[in-house]
Amino acid sequence: MTLSLSNIHKRYGGLHALKGVHLDVPEGAFYALLGPSSAGKTTALRVICGLETPDEGAVTLFGQRANDAPIQGRGLAMIFQSFALYPHLNVRENLAYPLRRSGLSSGEIDKKIGRVAETLNIQHRLGNRTDQLSGGEQQRVAIGRALIREPQVLLLDEPLTNLDAKLRDAMRVEFKRLHRELGITMLYATPDQLEATTMADQIAVIDDGRIIATGTPQDLYHAPPDARVAQLVGSPPVNLVPIQDRSTAGTWLGFAQLAIPAPEGTVCAIRPHDLTVATGEADFEGAVVLTEALGDVSVVTVQVGDAQLRTVLYGADAARVRIGDQLPLKINHAMYLPAAQCAQV
Amino acid sequence: MASGFRTHDQAGPVRTFFAWLVGIIYFAPVFWIVLTAFKTRADALAIPPKLVFAPTLDNFRAVFFQTSTTGEVTGSGVWLYFANSAFIAGSSVLLALIIGTLAAYAFSRYPLKGNDTYLFVILSTRMLPPIVVIIPIFLVFRLTGLSGSYIGIILLYTGFNLPFSIWMMKSFFDDLNPEVEDSARMDGSGDWSVFGRIALPQVKAGLAATSVFALILTWNEFIFALLLTGPETRTVPVAIASTIGGEIGVDWGKLSAMVSLFLIPVFIVTFALQNQLLRGVTFGTVRK
Repeated sequence: MTLSLSNIHKRYGGLHALKGVHLDVPEGAFYALLGPSSAGKTTALRVICGLETPDEGAVTLFGQRANDAPIQGRGLAMIFQSFALYPHLNVRENLAYPLRRSGLSSGEIDKKIGRVAETLNIQHRLGNRTDQLSGGEQQRVAIGRALIREPQVLLLDEPLTNLDAKLRDAMRVEFKRLHRELGITMLYATPDQLEATTMADQIAVIDDGRIIATGTPQDLYHAPPDARVAQLVGSPPVNLVPIQDRSTAGTWLGFAQLAIPAPEGTVCAIRPHDLTVATGEADFEGAVVLTEALGDVSVVTVQVGDAQLRTVLYGADAARVRIGDQLPLKINHAMYLPAAQCAQV
Repeated sequence: MASGFRTHDQAGPVRTFFAWLVGIIYFAPVFWIVLTAFKTRADALAIPPKLVFAPTLDNFRAVFFQTSTTGEVTGSGVWLYFANSAFIAGSSVLLALIIGTLAAYAFSRYPLKGNDTYLFVILSTRMLPPIVVIIPIFLVFRLTGLSGSYIGIILLYTGFNLPFSIWMMKSFFDDLNPEVEDSARMDGSGDWSVFGRIALPQVKAGLAATSVFALILTWNEFIFALLLTGPETRTVPVAIASTIGGEIGVDWGKLSAMVSLFLIPVFIVTFALQNQLLRGVTFGTVRK
């Protein structure tokens, strides 16, 4: 393992930010740390890079205990949410700053800056002040400054949160390309499940200071360990339906009957994609209360009894649906998941 | 930006008029003093006041030279007071700025338990009017032999400028993005390097604003200077005060000439730092 956290605790006064975090990041992985805001993502990254010292537990880097290792010696670089460029220095000086104490000659430094600037396509901006750059260019400079020291691990703290949607799509591709070309280990903290599932090959879901699930994006989508993880992975978000009546004969949801019996302490989770307009016999009918058109598909919310369910409609169905329509729906696949303590739609 | 707000376009004639009006009201006393400095005694005391008169340099001559009863002309020693003022104000502002900036950074980045209490205590030393503390300070100065010495008055002014410097510089450091400093740590900088190479260059405007305000306060200070400086360390405000009175009443012309000269250094410093200063005093009023 390139990087391991074992039973990490971190408290800030009365706030217990990390409550026994375990994390193993293999070499060369693109690893996402997915969780809602204030789940502990940033704190976890700060503990790894040494900006914070854990109260308990062990940080292991490249097989060696690194709890008290100096920040510079860890072979890590970090990209901050705010980009954290040095505002009083121009782009070239920003890129040169990490090399200041490396003992390189100015010729070698210039060569490295040139190479990084070319990789990130910011050659023409080297003489500019950082506040003259666009958001995307600032992001590139931040990436360049992190990569110029050739770190073995790159930590990214919500690097796309401050960018507009279009740029975010472009930068996602860019991060994938950099990961492929440089082959370094990346640990990527994000609250956005789309970023995590599209970019990462492994995801750790963090919530309330604990890692609550790890696995590939497919694993977490198709077989989440509990309802909370199901909520955090997948878009549009999963439908969680409390079970009204369980018996050996089947499960009653209050509006539909499922054949498979549900274990105690579970809720029923139905992915919006698994809820389709019935062509034959419908499981239930729901009244359309909201439609969100996303081009070729529409996310439609239907009301059935007390429950609101999301479904995804395609093609002609998507174009036709209107608020107030009664939709005959069929449940193609449902999961029974242990109700997590904080499952709240 | 909401419509109806002027942003970067030029001010309209009404706003320009009022800006000028306020400016003139503020500047009028200074203008009057400078005018009086060039008036003869008769012109200075004329009622109604004269705006048009024959200017004279006699008052400035009186500031720099004195004529004894035997008609002998000697230097008045006013240069010493100007040198004293410059040296005392300059050193104490510099000291307060160095110590205050370091303290402010520490208060901002490495808060202690009860940080706010310490800051309040530091500020509370400025809540007493100087007249209240002058007697104990006078006794302390006499006891320690600091009375009349440069070091004594410089230390006192440094102490008086410190709370202001700490509070002001802290607000500048508080407004910086801490991730920038974290980033510098990741890039291999130690604490001192982060402070000197990353934090300090970002608060240049704050340093300028703080030093100008502290300089003006110190430059103009009168009561401590009056009681705690000796003949060799006397500052200009005390010297100005001593020209008031005498057998012929107040010599307004000489007084104004001295005040005019006294304003010049502060004017120069303020103009030199004007660009930084404007950013300094408006800092924090607009979020980026």
